[in-house]
Amino acid sequence: MALMPKRVKHRKSQRGRIKGNATRGNTLAFGDWGLQSLEPGTITGKTIEACRIAAMQYIRGEGKLYIRVFPHKPVTARPLETRMGKGKGEPDRWVAVVKPGTVLFEIAGASHDAARDCFARVAHKLPMKVRLLQRTHGTH
Amino acid sequence: MSDDPKLTAQRRDSLGSSVSRRMRKAGQIPGSIYGHKQEAISFAVSADDLNPIIASGHKVVDFEIDGSVDKALIQDVQWNTFSTYVQHVDLLRVDANERVSTSVEIVVRGISPGVLAGGILEQIHHELPIECPVIRLPEQIVIRVTDLKMGGAIHVSDIPLPTDCTTTLPPEEVVVHVVEPRKAPEPDENEIASSAEPEVVGAKEEDSEE
Repeated sequence: MALMPKRVKHRKSQRGRIKGNATRGNTLAFGDWGLQSLEPGTITGKTIEACRIAAMQYIRGEGKLYIRVFPHKPVTARPLETRMGKGKGEPDRWVAVVKPGTVLFEIAGASHDAARDCFARVAHKLPMKVRLLQRTHGTH
Repeated sequence: MSDDPKLTAQRRDSLGSSVSRRMRKAGQIPGSIYGHKQEAISFAVSADDLNPIIASGHKVVDFEIDGSVDKALIQDVQWNTFSTYVQHVDLLRVDANERVSTSVEIVVRGISPGVLAGGILEQIHHELPIECPVIRLPEQIVIRVTDLKMGGAIHVSDIPLPTDCTTTLPPEEVVVHVVEPRKAPEPDENEIASSAEPEVVGAKEEDSEE
């Protein structure tokens, strides 16, 4: 099932703009391999779930997957074939706001080949360009 | 003669983000050195000199500026968003026998029998905060996991630290362990039905007021 918050303060939120690069959540925190966003965008809870399933099917038992993003933001939509007006639409989906540099997923305990192939499958499902991150000496 | 790498820098008088940006484009990295109750000095250092030192894991350098050489600890390194280049470096003046607090990288070596048996090697801590004299500061701490079986763990107390070195982590803290792969729990039908839309904080109070 798609990810969403358990409790929220407001049912609907304004759209907002994604400005600048990520200054937090842009380094590896748990694993040895990571998938880092190179473009701004939003990822729906369904997409995150699809990525999780694709990754788990591939690394099955070989490593541990960490999901570093969560869909906190509600997006509303209007029903089909309705006229404009009558107020804001109802919540339709939940999205994670992603800035360039955000680490989306991490894998620990997997080999380089396994992590690369796994993240290649995940990258196909994502709506933005991403790159593979590796924990290396002398960086963070 | 010290084994620490030498870093030669030039004093800089012009400060600010735009000057620093131009400096980085010209292959220089801005930095500052402070400590020992002396004045803080802003400097510029060549990226070609600094990057190999950072990549090697050295924490202490022989810092030369205006003809004088001091020992300095690399206190903080700021990277850009994508960790592709160093934006700024902070150095702390130290004496050779002074005790300092810093973090040292933990490197796991070897193949664990637990992993060969189907387990997952999970590293909880990638850095170890340690306090030790500058001359004994290790570049990295190597942990061998060749004896780590399924369900086994290496704790902070099991890590061999150099003489006079102490860590601030509690000794019972797990650094590396091998765990069995877990299956993701199946979603509960009731939970799916009840969580179609999240609970709104304070919604009931508003309804009752109306």
